[in-house]
Amino acid sequence: MTVTVHSDAGSPDEYVEAEIHRLLTEDPAVAEQGITVVRTERALVLHGEVESANRREEILRRVAERFPDVQITSDIGVIRTQAPTEIEQLP
Amino acid sequence: MVIRIAAVGDVHLDEDVLGRFRPALEELPGSVDAVLLAGDLTRHGTEAEARCVAREFGGLGVPVIAVLGNHDHQCDQVPQVIGALEEAGITVLEGDGVVLDCPGGRLGVAGVKGFGGGFAGRCASDFGEPEMKAFVRTTTESANRLSEALRSLDCDVLVALTHYAPVPDTLAGEPLEIYPFLGCYQLGQAIDSAPTALALHGHAHHGSERGTTPGGVRVRNVAHPVIKQAYSIFHLGDHLDQGEVSGVAVGGTQQPWS
Repeated sequence: MTVTVHSDAGSPDEYVEAEIHRLLTEDPAVAEQGITVVRTERALVLHGEVESANRREEILRRVAERFPDVQITSDIGVIRTQAPTEIEQLP
Repeated sequence: MVIRIAAVGDVHLDEDVLGRFRPALEELPGSVDAVLLAGDLTRHGTEAEARCVAREFGGLGVPVIAVLGNHDHQCDQVPQVIGALEEAGITVLEGDGVVLDCPGGRLGVAGVKGFGGGFAGRCASDFGEPEMKAFVRTTTESANRLSEALRSLDCDVLVALTHYAPVPDTLAGEPLEIYPFLGCYQLGQAIDSAPTALALHGHAHHGSERGTTPGGVRVRNVAHPVIKQAYSIFHLGDHLDQGEVSGVAVGGTQQPWS
């Protein structure tokens, strides 16, 4: 999923990357430490996995709200919760 | 003699996740002897979120043993969080342990949340500013409590349960720069100070599943984003065979690996 926000503030820089990373942990509406922010030439890409689709949407909403001029691309998945199909034996 | 354990960490429960784990959890009675939760049970450590954990993991018909994680401390409601979990019959360990009488023998579990600090040769030292000393002393005290708890248990199979990682092996995949925030060697040293059979931890979402302590104890990172299933199942003991594994197949679990 890609959130495209009109950018007239120039390219994303390291400080934006750092701020987004902290926002993802420190914003009570997000509180995720497992999301990685990767800076590319075209956008900031968010990688990681969360426990619900709501949380993924909230991450994109909060980041777009805080950084309206930055183009954000999301590759955040929702972690599966099926029972395991294998057992690990530890003799 | 086989002890059967299900384990997961970092489930980060809140209302929006409630019920996602339950169908898989309901397969566990009769298949495992205990469920171990490796911390970060909630998002922010509120009592309301802990009640979600209690609903999801309580009343399973299988003993549930947990340690808390850093997220479970965020709102400074640790006593209320523990209270809500204990009301649901979940045992919360912090520097102590419990022994369960299982059909395959006595399972001892000792647990602490643990703390960061880093690993041998690349770790923080108890030196300099008061803040740095306080950081490292938190690490050391936590590891000491784990060591004492592990050595105090009289059991057949001993398991260490932490949130922070005791070895760097299971952090592979995380940026090297943040290893000191993900675990510490002192936890590994504590695990090696007792006849521990298995160490389980969470916290490192981008880490990897398997490692060993310098003393040879097997370590597993059971953080939910790492195992990508509701829980992992481990069979510990001297007489593991296909027949015993088949006995677990009623719950849909079929193949062993080792």
